[in-house]
Amino acid sequence: MSTITQDRPGESLLLQGNEAIARGALEAGVQVAAGYPGTPSSEIIESLASAAEEGRLYVEWSVNEKVALEVAAAASFSELRSLAAMKQVGVNVAADFLLHLAQYGARGGMVLISCEDPGALSSTNEGDSRQYARMMEFPLLEPGDFQEAKDITKWAFELSEAIRNVVMVRSVTRLSHGSGKVALDELPEKRAGARFRFEGPLTGQMEGPVASMPNTVFLLHNRQQDKLRKAAEIFETSPFNRYTGPDRPDLLIITSSACHLYCKEAMHLLGIGDRVGLLKLGTTWPLPRRLIGKHLMAVDRVLVVEELLPFLEENVKVLAAELCERTGSIRFYGKRDGTLPSVTELSPDTVAKALSTLLSVAVPSPPIDYRKGVQEAAAVGAPPRMITFCPGCPHRASFWSIHNALAMDDRKGFVCGDIGCYSMGLYPAGFETLKTLHAMGSGTGVASGFGELGQFGLNQPVLSVCGDSTFFHAAMPALANAVHHQSDILMVVLDNSGTAMTGFQPHPGLRQDAMGRMAPAIDIAAVCRGMGARVEVCDPFDLDQTRSTLLQMLEQGKGVQVLILKQMCALSPEKKSRKPFEMSLDPEVCVGESCGCNRLCTRVFGCPGLVWDKKMKKARIDEVICVGCGVCASICPAGAIQKREAA
Amino acid sequence: MHVFGPTELVEEVHKRGLCVGCGACVGLCPYFLNHRGRTVQVFPCTLTQGRCFAACPKAEVDLDEISRHHRQRPYKGAPMGDVEQAFAAKAGPEMPVGSFQAGGVVSALLIYALQQGLIKAAILTGRDENGPKPAIASSPQEILGCAGSKFTTAPTLAAFNQAVSEKISPLGVVGTPCQMTSVAKWRTNPLKRDDFVDPVALAIGVFCNWGLDQRQLVSFLAERTDVSRIRGMDIPPPPANALIVDLGNQKMTISLDEIRPFIPETCHLCPDMTSEWADLSVGMFEGRPGWNTLLVRTQRGKDLATGAEAAGLLETMPMPETNLAHLREAAKIKKKRAFMNMNKRGLLNSPDKNGIALLRVSAEVARSILEA
Repeated sequence: MSTITQDRPGESLLLQGNEAIARGALEAGVQVAAGYPGTPSSEIIESLASAAEEGRLYVEWSVNEKVALEVAAAASFSELRSLAAMKQVGVNVAADFLLHLAQYGARGGMVLISCEDPGALSSTNEGDSRQYARMMEFPLLEPGDFQEAKDITKWAFELSEAIRNVVMVRSVTRLSHGSGKVALDELPEKRAGARFRFEGPLTGQMEGPVASMPNTVFLLHNRQQDKLRKAAEIFETSPFNRYTGPDRPDLLIITSSACHLYCKEAMHLLGIGDRVGLLKLGTTWPLPRRLIGKHLMAVDRVLVVEELLPFLEENVKVLAAELCERTGSIRFYGKRDGTLPSVTELSPDTVAKALSTLLSVAVPSPPIDYRKGVQEAAAVGAPPRMITFCPGCPHRASFWSIHNALAMDDRKGFVCGDIGCYSMGLYPAGFETLKTLHAMGSGTGVASGFGELGQFGLNQPVLSVCGDSTFFHAAMPALANAVHHQSDILMVVLDNSGTAMTGFQPHPGLRQDAMGRMAPAIDIAAVCRGMGARVEVCDPFDLDQTRSTLLQMLEQGKGVQVLILKQMCALSPEKKSRKPFEMSLDPEVCVGESCGCNRLCTRVFGCPGLVWDKKMKKARIDEVICVGCGVCASICPAGAIQKREAA
Repeated sequence: MHVFGPTELVEEVHKRGLCVGCGACVGLCPYFLNHRGRTVQVFPCTLTQGRCFAACPKAEVDLDEISRHHRQRPYKGAPMGDVEQAFAAKAGPEMPVGSFQAGGVVSALLIYALQQGLIKAAILTGRDENGPKPAIASSPQEILGCAGSKFTTAPTLAAFNQAVSEKISPLGVVGTPCQMTSVAKWRTNPLKRDDFVDPVALAIGVFCNWGLDQRQLVSFLAERTDVSRIRGMDIPPPPANALIVDLGNQKMTISLDEIRPFIPETCHLCPDMTSEWADLSVGMFEGRPGWNTLLVRTQRGKDLATGAEAAGLLETMPMPETNLAHLREAAKIKKKRAFMNMNKRGLLNSPDKNGIALLRVSAEVARSILEA
């Protein structure tokens, strides 16, 4: 039994934020959950999938976030409770459907979880999805701690059913990936039956066809805004909005999400609990007008503490403007006046610094011996390391061949990158092969455009890379576009048999689904051929064949070609404990820094399994780290590295 | 001769358009590779001195030093270099049948050298469906398989480096003037290595006015014919002004004016038409199809030619002075033009900011060539 399915109401467990969210959904009786992997969101669907194995619900890793939201919506339309989970960028993918979903509304409770990444700890952006709630007019809830992660998620289903619309719950990395004590409630026994009613009128919330047409838009849009007003009314008394502090504080902090913990810590550090009030909001769109108004009337100064853009700040300011006759003039601090930064994540330190300035109190220094200890520990801390691929990673071998083929081709060919571990192809780890990097599937889409510019004199070969999961997620439409418009591109599918970067979740190209059931696998090569591309398949560990295939395809140059470089991720469960080759390095043969090599393996190839022995001036294999992929034996110009098939 | 490293090679040779793709730096290390006639550095190398630079015929070539090493005298700048004997020559009666460009003299000399055990293998330029290809030939059949001029630049010396690394010795090397310059430079042991062994027992140079960029020529020809059908090419002496492409059952004639744009700029900076640093140089014999011009430059060359003739593999006739004068004049024109071009680009003697010149000769010789 997985942790989150323990039926022990009243007891507390140490749960990761994402597990708490999953538990909240289970306590709410969620029956369908869908998502697409993406840090920091992936553990929600993974936790629910483990519960699904016990037959409680249906869970899938959808092909992308839009489809995940659609799958979850179908359950809601069938009067079941459903959830879709994704990272911030996934909401953009789902946004087109989300606009329509929110306009018509939900039937069974439907919750969209967006796990966001201020500070871009595992993202290529700091997307802020809170704006969608305002833009597309549905409620937004933001848990402030681990208990709330569960409780707000659970309550979000009730709210969704109360107003009959989708509700967004927004988490951030520090909440999703931190862990804390969570008191459990009961798990429901009852499972609702699914039925889809469509006999009613086109505008029938619970029994009509679920659709919006030009002639129903006004009615639906009005209905949607009524739902929002109803939500705001409910929020006035929500226990997730709490105030602590004096009746008339010197300064009121309005905050939400994990920032609420930073504020508490900063206030504790500065010892200003008697001067500062803390209004922590769990319901951040629409704002509870009377509640906020009451607190604004008691202060002259307000600091809004939130991460990224001034979403909360601006919404509070709008209320303050509307209520100004009663609140009087208020000085606001936050993003817009530069008190807090609008980029990266906040911390107790940043909040403490802001408070110290606003209240003219000094931030107490830590004890001198503590500071000394920290300095000493930091001095010998982890050595600086280059971001790189794992030992035995197929991407290193793939980029090696792509880089070398492009260099030999000598026409300034370039690769449009995509989202996955292989995004590191931008760095020396991938020999700086990637020259563009945007969203999922964008590599091939952008390449499709570059590939049309031959008529304007662009005579550089255009390549794209994309992973196997990314291929299904968003690259297929781009490929179809390129084929149909006869773009001249070479798409390289880096097929490592899984959604490797986020923890090896299955995708439609694999024989298993999220719940561990057998599933039909879709053949990427057949899809590409079906679209009309010329397709080759190579093992990237065969460097010679990969390079010569690439060179030959580069030379051919016309139309859409696809090269599938198929080799399983070094961390895949199937591979993890097996070394296909025992590697050895003969120091007598290694020419080291001399002319003829100059440390190709450790200076350029850069597999962490290869170590430069500074004293001996020879390369060495780190047996503990080496996974025995055998590729370095192919690059060693001296033949010093040998591979022997492992017994 | 000052030897720099790969960074300078890329900066001063590649980026200035001086690389001719001779293959001298290819196969020494993992960094310099040649693909379809073009040499590139695939990854930077940080060494301050390298064999790549040492072997390059387009970087710091000190002709005086080369001449003193190989000919025991200073470089004088004679249009055809040092010539001991000049012949009209062709393969002798003992030679197997082959499809030679002209007289089959190169093949005859190599087969003789191989038979006599003077060399173990020959470094040659063969051809496959993708174009010219470096080859290590260790039998008469393999030598005959490489016969025929290629007209495009080729990384022949990559095969030389491969043979050296495989310790195949002694070697015969056949190449164009740039390649013969590289071999001659290399044989002076520019890196002053204690363990240096000269593996070259025979250097045969071919005449060359210029080469053609392989990629440009192939894509030009590909628009006109199926490139895989090409059996050979020929540029008949003036006034033909044409490239004749042998397609087996038919011949295609292309005006030289159409392909001249494919001559790499670096060929216009080359002062050597007759492969002055070889033991023997071989070219066409103007006005006498089926015959070659054979210039003998060294004692080693003289012994080989004499031996080959005695063995019935070679047939020679004295070269008429008018022909020789004609050849000398053509060589003089090429040399003078190259010196002027180098001078104009600041590549002759006068070092650039890094102190690297393409070619070094004494000021006196430079003047005499420029004023010739």
